[in-house]
Amino acid sequence: MNSLDFSIVFQALPYLWSGLLFSLALTAVAFVVGLVLGTCLALVQHFEVPVIGRLVRGYVALMRSIPLILVLFWFFFLVPIVLGHLGGNGRPVPIGATWTAFITFGLFEAAYYSEIIRVGLRAVNRGQFEACQALALSTFDTYRSVILPQVLRVASPIILSQTIILFQDTSLVYVLSLTDLLGAASKLAQLNGRLVEMYLVIAVVYLAISSAASQCVASLRKRYAIAGMRR
Amino acid sequence: MRQLAAGNKPEPSASIVVVEKLVKRFGHFTALSDVNLSVAAGEKIVLCGPSGSGKSTLIRCINHIERHDGGRIVVDGVELTDRMTDVNSIRREVGMVFQSFNLFPHLSIVENCMLAPMKVRGLSRPEAQERAIGLLRKVRIHDQADKYPGQLSGGQQQRVAIARALCMQPKIMLFDEPTSALDPEMVKEVLDTMVELAKDGMTMVCVTHEMGFAREIADRVVFMDRGAIVEEADPETFFRAPRTERAKDFLGQIIH
Repeated sequence: MNSLDFSIVFQALPYLWSGLLFSLALTAVAFVVGLVLGTCLALVQHFEVPVIGRLVRGYVALMRSIPLILVLFWFFFLVPIVLGHLGGNGRPVPIGATWTAFITFGLFEAAYYSEIIRVGLRAVNRGQFEACQALALSTFDTYRSVILPQVLRVASPIILSQTIILFQDTSLVYVLSLTDLLGAASKLAQLNGRLVEMYLVIAVVYLAISSAASQCVASLRKRYAIAGMRR
Repeated sequence: MRQLAAGNKPEPSASIVVVEKLVKRFGHFTALSDVNLSVAAGEKIVLCGPSGSGKSTLIRCINHIERHDGGRIVVDGVELTDRMTDVNSIRREVGMVFQSFNLFPHLSIVENCMLAPMKVRGLSRPEAQERAIGLLRKVRIHDQADKYPGQLSGGQQQRVAIARALCMQPKIMLFDEPTSALDPEMVKEVLDTMVELAKDGMTMVCVTHEMGFAREIADRVVFMDRGAIVEEADPETFFRAPRTERAKDFLGQIIH
C-alpha cells in the first residue's frame, strides 16, 4: 500500500461539510420531534388512556423491534402509495427522500425516547404526585412543573446516549440516495481510491462530535446540578 | 347545612369537616368501615391507633388522595365527590403534611413554597415570594430559603413542608405521622412548630403517636383499630382511663 495522502481530504472539505450539515440537521430535527412526541407517547401510556394507550404501546413495540433501515424503506415506498389511495386516484404521491428521512427519523426516535421517559415517570416517587394533589395542582401543572423536570434530569444521560446513536444512524440515509457525512466520504473515497484516509478522517469527526456532545451534556448537568438531589 | 341554617353567625363549634359512615376498601380488605367523625373549626384532633388501623387512610380520604367507597365527606360545606371541581376546591382549603415530607427536590425551599400559590391561587411571583418568606420565617427556616431540600436535615425539611402547606392559607391542616421518619433529636423542632400552629387557632387533624403533643394541644383523642373508631375522649381522660381493652393495650405498648 502507498503511504497515506490526506491532501484529497482537504480538497473534499466543502462536500464533506455539506454532508456533515445534513447529518447534524437530521439529528437535531429527529431529536426535537422525537423527544416532544416521545414524551407525549410516554404520557399517554403513563395515564393508561383507554384504547390509545394500547395503540401507542403497539407502535412503540413495533418501532423498537424493526431496523431503522427497514422503516426508511417502508416509509419511502409505502407512504406514497397510501397517500395516493387516500387522495382517491390511486396514483402514488411521492414525498421525496429528504422529507422521508426527517419524518421517519422523528417518528422512529420518538419510540425510543418515549421508553426512556416512560421508565423515568415510573421512577418518580409516589409521594411527589401526592404532594401535588394535596396542593391542588392541576394535572398539567403537576407534570410540567414537578414531574417532568425531575424525569428529564434523571434521564438525561440515557437521552444523550440515544441521541449519539441517532447521530450515527443518520448514515443510513444512503438507502434513500441522500448524502450525509459518511455518504459523502464514501462517495469520494471510491471515486479517488483513497478509502483509508477518508474513513480515518470521518471516524475522527464522528468521535470528536460524539465526545463533544457528551462533554457538553456533562457540563450542563454540572451547571444545573441541584445540591442534594440524586442524579 | 345545619350549622349554617342555625343563625346569622356560625356556632363556635360549627363542623368544618364532617365524615359520615365512611367506607374504604383496598380490594377485599376493608380499611375503613362506617367511620363517623366531625371536626369543629379550630379544633385539634389527634388520631392514634396501631399500624393498619386506618388512621392514615382516614385523613387521606379527607382530601381525596384516597377515593372513598361509601359514606359522605363534607369539608367546609362542600361534599367530596369524584368531580374534580369539588376535589380541587376542597384541596385548596386542606393542607397536608406527609411522613416523608415529599418536598420537590428540583425546586429551592422558597420555590417549593411558591409553586402552588402561584399556580392554584393565582398569586404573582413577588406576592408568592413574600408569603413564602413570611411563613418560612414563622417556621424559623427563612435563612435557608435558597437551598434545596436535599441540603436540609429531616426536621428542617418537615418544617418547610409545613410552611409549604400553610402558603395555600388552608382552613384545615392534616398531618400524617409527621415525625415518624425523623431522627429523635429532630422530633422536637417539628412538634414545636405544630404546637405554635395549634396555638394560632388552626384546625388540625394529626395522625401521631407523640402522646406528649396530644396531651398538650389535642381537644380530642380519637383511637382507631381495625378500620373503626373505637374510642374518643379528651386527652386527660383517654390517657388516664381508657375505656376499651384495645386502647389500654395500645397505650401499654407505646408508653414505656
